[in-house]
Amino acid sequence: MQGLNVTEKGITYLWECLSLYTGACAYMLLYVAALIYICIYGSRREKEVFVPCSVFLLVTVYNPVAPLILDRIFDVNSEYYRFFWVTPVLILIPYLATVLITRRQTGRQRLIVTGLLVLTVMFSGRFVYTDGFRLAENIYKMPQEMIEVSELIHKDSGNEYAKAFLEYEYNMQMRQYDPKMLLTIDREDYLDAVSMPYTEEMLNDEAHPEYRLLALLVRNQPVEKDEFTQALEDTKTEYVVVNSDHPKINYLKSAGLKVVNKTDSNTIFKYELSEPYEFELVDYSVVY
Amino acid sequence: MINVLIILFGVIGNFIVYLSFGSLITGVGKGRKASQTEDNVRTLLVSVVLGFFFYYFLFFFVCVPPMAYYRPLSMLTGIWVPIVIAVILISAFFNGRRWIEQIKGVFDAVRREKVAAAVLLIIVTIQVFLVACTYNFTLDAAYYVANVATSVDTNMMNVYDPFTGAWQDHYEMRYFFATYSMQDSVVCRLTGIPALIWTKSVMAITIILLTNIIYILIARELFDRPVSVIVMVVCMFVVNMTFTTIYTSSMFLITRTYEGKAIVGNLALMTVFYLFMRMNDGSGYSYLKQWLMLFIVCFGATTISSSANMLIPVELTVLFVPLIIRKKLWKQITGYVICVIPGLAFALVFVLYVKGYFVLYTFPK
Repeated sequence: MQGLNVTEKGITYLWECLSLYTGACAYMLLYVAALIYICIYGSRREKEVFVPCSVFLLVTVYNPVAPLILDRIFDVNSEYYRFFWVTPVLILIPYLATVLITRRQTGRQRLIVTGLLVLTVMFSGRFVYTDGFRLAENIYKMPQEMIEVSELIHKDSGNEYAKAFLEYEYNMQMRQYDPKMLLTIDREDYLDAVSMPYTEEMLNDEAHPEYRLLALLVRNQPVEKDEFTQALEDTKTEYVVVNSDHPKINYLKSAGLKVVNKTDSNTIFKYELSEPYEFELVDYSVVY
Repeated sequence: MINVLIILFGVIGNFIVYLSFGSLITGVGKGRKASQTEDNVRTLLVSVVLGFFFYYFLFFFVCVPPMAYYRPLSMLTGIWVPIVIAVILISAFFNGRRWIEQIKGVFDAVRREKVAAAVLLIIVTIQVFLVACTYNFTLDAAYYVANVATSVDTNMMNVYDPFTGAWQDHYEMRYFFATYSMQDSVVCRLTGIPALIWTKSVMAITIILLTNIIYILIARELFDRPVSVIVMVVCMFVVNMTFTTIYTSSMFLITRTYEGKAIVGNLALMTVFYLFMRMNDGSGYSYLKQWLMLFIVCFGATTISSSANMLIPVELTVLFVPLIIRKKLWKQITGYVICVIPGLAFALVFVLYVKGYFVLYTFPK
């Protein structure tokens, strides 16, 4: 879970992890309420199915000490919340709701209970598409413009593989659609760039020339033009795709990159490498 | 239109394969008593769900050796496809008549409960529409889907970095044993279906259907009346649509259906719970067969996502340890231990890798 660390939080980690997990949803509380109902009014079988596992969950997954112990073996900081998936919320709550509805004697009673349950859900949950949903633009479920960018780069490149620096969303999606597009920046480096600025030491790190590209194009930090183009050389990056209203458009032009094409909202720049780079797959036929 | 047909045939093909694989488990060794007590619809549905896990369970053993010795994806395809065909033929030979009876049973049930079937059809269609037609941006797809596309393009397995396309000198063990995406690669390689269509449409729809099947089975186990079963399945749908933070399994199911984590968090955990209820009730199959089913589900889940390595042992512990103690089924401890082992073993291997005890290189050293 982002921002939560077992070592820092200690035994409060579990509570904070659970708070983030449930967010504004009250389903965990409903689960506890449903469990209490089963304990009081449930049949023997209902108790056998739902109560012992919940007690075991309480002493294992929901034990504040459990993440501290597990963290000594695995790094559970970002993934402990998945243990909450084991809780049969999705079985017990719908089960009890069904019992409450179907065991009413008359249709009127069933309607009232259903209405009350609908109200409970409205106040307990958050609809998955509260912020609206976006229909896929094509069968690939990728932005159409990204597909256009891919086609334009390959058309210009002439090589089987092309290497590019892309804006964030395209960088995360391009290779799902087009594995012949090599990317300069990997996912973790991009995520780091979005979340923190680059220090002088990082910008001077010869082993990571991509930091200079990210510093300039993601964080808008100052980078000398020759250092930027050297970073393109070092990473063998031929294409840079940025939004057409990116603040560094003029910088890229003055650094010697040429606009080879444009889409509705993106500009595709090309940098002429001093030595042409052609990516080749490793030949495993020599191994066997 | 052609893409819609590809998706439709892909989903149907998946179900035929899962039914064939699953029927080998549910059909073999079933006594007369069991066949009398089991109704056709339930056996068909259990076969399909179990077949899904059995398929990935077997695929794991066929996939790992060629991958460890950096053999091409086309070689794996050449080995795996004949096995699948053989299993389908063998299963059809032994179970063909039973399938016809079971499918007739489904049609009979639909004819008997027209309203319930219609409600079910509506909520499943809504879910299929949501997973098949919406755009969802998720960072993890940058690995999973791109890995399928990269493996197909390079004709290698897990050798090139899905994020950048660069060659990697060693295998990332976090994903090495989760061979689910390699199966996707095999199908894409064999059929030419683009990775995005296969993963985000065909597999997403398949998983949604399988998840709803297990919901029906669970609800059927808790209620006798079809109306109650449908009400519960509708309630499960409502909870899935409203229990949504970025961390919940419901959110994973609706927006990241094709990812291994979503399959483990929804389908695998639910299937284990279903088998727990069956064992708790002492109905149906013998203990041996029930543990065999559980083992296949547990092992199969670990080959789908490494998240299962810890989740499945925890779920087995919280469900089956109290059951064993309460019913004094001391002999069944062996079954529990055997089912827990695959997940823990893979987790241990990963810890050893992270601590630097070993590396699997992608070339001879």
